[in-house]
Amino acid sequence: MDMNEIKEIFFQECEEQLAELESGLLKLNDGDRDPETVNAVFRAVHSIKGGAGAFGLDDLVSFAHVFETTLDCVRSNRLDPGPEVLKVMLKSADVLADLTNAARDGGGVDEARSRQLIKELEALANGEVLQASAAPEPVAKAAPVVAPVVNDEGFQPVAFSFDDFEADEPALMEMPTYEIVFRPKSDLYAKGNEATLLLRDLSRLGEMNIHCDMDALPTLDRLSPETAYFSWKISLKTDKGEDAIRTVFEFAEWDCDLEVSLVADGAAAPSEELPMQPVPFDLSILDDEPVGPVGVIEEEEQLAAQQQIRDAAVSAAGTASNVLQMAQSAARAPVEKSAGAAASAAAQSAAAQQAAASAATPTIRVDLDRVDRLINLVGELVINQAMLSQSVVENDANGTSSINMGLEELQQLTREIQDSVMAIRAQPVKPVFQRMSRIVREIADMTGKSVRLITEGENTEVDKTVIDKLAEPLTHMIRNAVDHGLETPEKRLAAGKSAEGTVRLTAKHRSGRIVIELADDGAGINREKVRQKAIDNDLIAADANLSDEEIDNLIFHAGFSTADKISDISGRGVGMDVVKRSIQALGGRINISSKPGHGSVFTMSLPLTLAVLDGMVVTVANQTLVVPLTAIVETLQPEAAAIHSFGSNQRLISIRNSFCPLVDVGRILNFRASQANPVEGVALLVESEGGGQRALMVDAIQGQRQVVIKSLEANYTHVPGIAAATILGDGRVALILDVDTIVAASRGQSLKPEMSLAAAG
Amino acid sequence: MASKKTAQKTLSLAPVLDLNEATALHEKLLGLKGSDLTIDASAVERVGTLCVQVLMAGAKTWEEDHLSFTFSKVSDAFEKTTQLIGVDIDHLMAKEI
Repeated sequence: MDMNEIKEIFFQECEEQLAELESGLLKLNDGDRDPETVNAVFRAVHSIKGGAGAFGLDDLVSFAHVFETTLDCVRSNRLDPGPEVLKVMLKSADVLADLTNAARDGGGVDEARSRQLIKELEALANGEVLQASAAPEPVAKAAPVVAPVVNDEGFQPVAFSFDDFEADEPALMEMPTYEIVFRPKSDLYAKGNEATLLLRDLSRLGEMNIHCDMDALPTLDRLSPETAYFSWKISLKTDKGEDAIRTVFEFAEWDCDLEVSLVADGAAAPSEELPMQPVPFDLSILDDEPVGPVGVIEEEEQLAAQQQIRDAAVSAAGTASNVLQMAQSAARAPVEKSAGAAASAAAQSAAAQQAAASAATPTIRVDLDRVDRLINLVGELVINQAMLSQSVVENDANGTSSINMGLEELQQLTREIQDSVMAIRAQPVKPVFQRMSRIVREIADMTGKSVRLITEGENTEVDKTVIDKLAEPLTHMIRNAVDHGLETPEKRLAAGKSAEGTVRLTAKHRSGRIVIELADDGAGINREKVRQKAIDNDLIAADANLSDEEIDNLIFHAGFSTADKISDISGRGVGMDVVKRSIQALGGRINISSKPGHGSVFTMSLPLTLAVLDGMVVTVANQTLVVPLTAIVETLQPEAAAIHSFGSNQRLISIRNSFCPLVDVGRILNFRASQANPVEGVALLVESEGGGQRALMVDAIQGQRQVVIKSLEANYTHVPGIAAATILGDGRVALILDVDTIVAASRGQSLKPEMSLAAAG
Repeated sequence: MASKKTAQKTLSLAPVLDLNEATALHEKLLGLKGSDLTIDASAVERVGTLCVQVLMAGAKTWEEDHLSFTFSKVSDAFEKTTQLIGVDIDHLMAKEI
C-alpha cells in the first residue's frame, strides 16, 4: 500500500464527504435545523481538512479551515444559517469540491473566487461573534464565547512559529491561564495519535506546567501495553484563546476527555496541591522532521507526524480496511465507551451518528476494471450457455429430460449471476443529481434568477456507465431549463407565479428502464418562434403542417442549434441535438412536452444497463435482427383487409380503429429492393420517441431472448439504424435494431444523421 | 556498585518507542522481573506515551519488589519527552558514584 493508493482512498472519501456536505447544506437550506445535520456538515469539512493536511494539500486545508470555522459558529448557534449564510456556504462547498479536484487531477482553481469566499466566510464568523458576545474583549473574561480562530488575516492564529512566540513573551504576565484536563482513551493511541505530540503542540501555545496523573497505572503484570492509563492536568498561560487550545486536540476530539477552563487569576497557581512540572521550551528535538521554515502551520506538523505514525501502523496492519480506517481516523471515531463529562454534547452526538453511519452495511471498494472483466465474462457465459442449449436441441431432438432440466437450471443460474453482477455496477443517480444542484446555483447566479431545484428518486439505481454518461446531457438540459426555460423574477411575478422558479429532477424505474424527468415551471416553448426559426433555417417547409409535439421536437434537430442568436428564443435550443445524441448513444430516448405558460417537461428513458438487453429475435430478409423488447408494445399478424395504401409507397395498418404507419424494416435497411407483403410477415407495434406508434414489419419472430450487447462502434463502425450487435446461441452475429432511427427514417428522414431533412411530417 | 549477589541486568531501549513497540517492551520487562534492572535509554530518538506508561509501570513493579530500577543513560529526546508529559524520572536516574 503506497502513498498514492492511500491518497486515492482519501480522494474517494472526499467525494463522499463533499456529497454529504452538499446534501446537508441543502437540507439546512430547506429549513432543517436539526443539530445532527449541522454536525454532519461540519464533520464532512473537518474530515476533508484532516485528510488534506496529512497529504500536505495546503490550499485545501486553508480553505477548509476557514469554512470549518464558520460552520463551527453555526454549530454553536453563534451564527444563524439564514438564506444568505447558506448561499455563501453552498458556494464554499463548490469551491471546496473544485479544490479537491484540483488537488487530485492538477489544474487550477478560480483563486479570486476562493479568496472572495474566504473573506465572506470570515465576515460571517466574525460578524456574528461581535453580536453574540457582549463583552468587548472576549478573551479577557471567562466568557463562554471566545473569539473564533479567525482573525483579520485569515487563519493566522493557527499558524505558529517560534518568532511569534518570542514576540509574545513580554505580554506573558497578563496572559490568561487555562486549566486543561486531558484524559486520552485507548483509542487515541490505537488510531496512531500520540499524546506527546498533542502536548508538544500545546506547550507551544504558551507557558505550560504539567502534572501527569499516573494513579491508574497498574503494575507490570496487570498492564495492558496499549491501554491509556496516564491523564494530565495542565496549566497553560497563553493569549491564544480557548479555541487555539481546542484546535490542538481537534483530531483527537472523540478519543479523549478534554476539559478546558479559564482560571480567573493567571497569577495564582491553579492547582497547588499537585506538583507541576514546568515544560521545557525548546522541544525541537522532539520534532520528527527537520525544523521547518518559520510560520509552518502547526497543524500540518502535527498531521505530518500523525501520518508518519499512521504509516508505521499501516505497514504493520497492512490490510486495506485498516488503511481505510486510519485515513479516517481524524474524524471517524466509533463510540465504544460512553464519553465522559468533558466531551461536549455536540461531539458526542456527532460521534453517535458516526457510529450509526458506520453501522450501515459494510462495503468494499473494488477496481472498476475488475467488475467490468467479470461482467464481460458473464456475458460470454450467457452466450456460451445459449450455444450449449442450442446444440443440445439440435443434436438430440427427443432430448432426455434430465439434460433439458439441467440446461434450464443453468439458464436460470446464468441469469441470476448476470443480474447480480449487473447489480454490482448499479449506482444511485444521487451524485449526478447533486452535481446538478450546483449547476443550478451557478446558472441562477449568472442569470439573476431565483431557482429552486427539487430532486426526487435520487436513490434510483442505474448502471455506472449510464450514470457517467448522463451527467453531460443532464447538465446541458439543466442549463437550458434555467437559462431559457425559466423567466426572470419580474416576468414571473407579472405572470402571477412566484418569483422563485422551480426545476424538478426526478428519477424512477419504469418497466426495466430508468426514466429521468426534468420539469420546469417556466414559460414553456414558444412554438411560434421555434416554427419560424425552423422555417428560416430551412428545416421545414413554410407551409408544413406540424403538430405541437412535432414543433417541440424540432429543438432537438441539429440544424436548429447551429443557428445564431439562439438565446433570443424564449424556448430552448442550445445544443439539444447534442443532448439527444448522447441520450441515444446510451440507448435512451428523450421526449419533450411543453405547456405554454406552465413550463416544459423533458423525459428521458434510459436502459438500466448497457451490457445486456431483452430482445425479440426476428428475421428480416433472411437476416436475424434483435428488436429491444422495451420498444415493443405488441405484435400482430396483419390481415390483408387492415392494410391500406397511402401516397405513393406508404402504407398504413388499421389497428383497433386507428391507423398506424407501416414501416418496412427490410426496405429501410436495404435488405431488399422491393416491398414486402405485410400479410406474410409479422408487425411489431413499437412506441416511437415522438410518442406515436409505428408498426415495424418483419418476416418472422424467432423468439425472445436476453442478449449480450457488443458495441458495433468499438468493433466495426457505426451503422445507421443499428444500435449494436450481439452473438446468438448458434454463434452468429445478430444486429440490434435502433428502433427510433428506423422510425425516423420511415418518416422520410435519411438514415444518415448528418444529412439534413428537407421536410418534416 | 551493584552488589555481587543480586543479578544485575541491563535493558537497552530501541530508538523508536512507538505504539508497536509498547507490547514488545512490556514483554521484555516482564521477562526481566526479579532482578535489579538498569535501563539504557541513550539510543532513544522517539518515545510515545504508551512506552512511557510501560516503563513507569515497570518502575512501580520493581519498587514493589524492592529491587532497583534505574536509568543509566538517557537521550535528550527521552528526557525532554518525559519532561514534556510531566513524568518525573529524576528519582530513577542512576546516581553517579
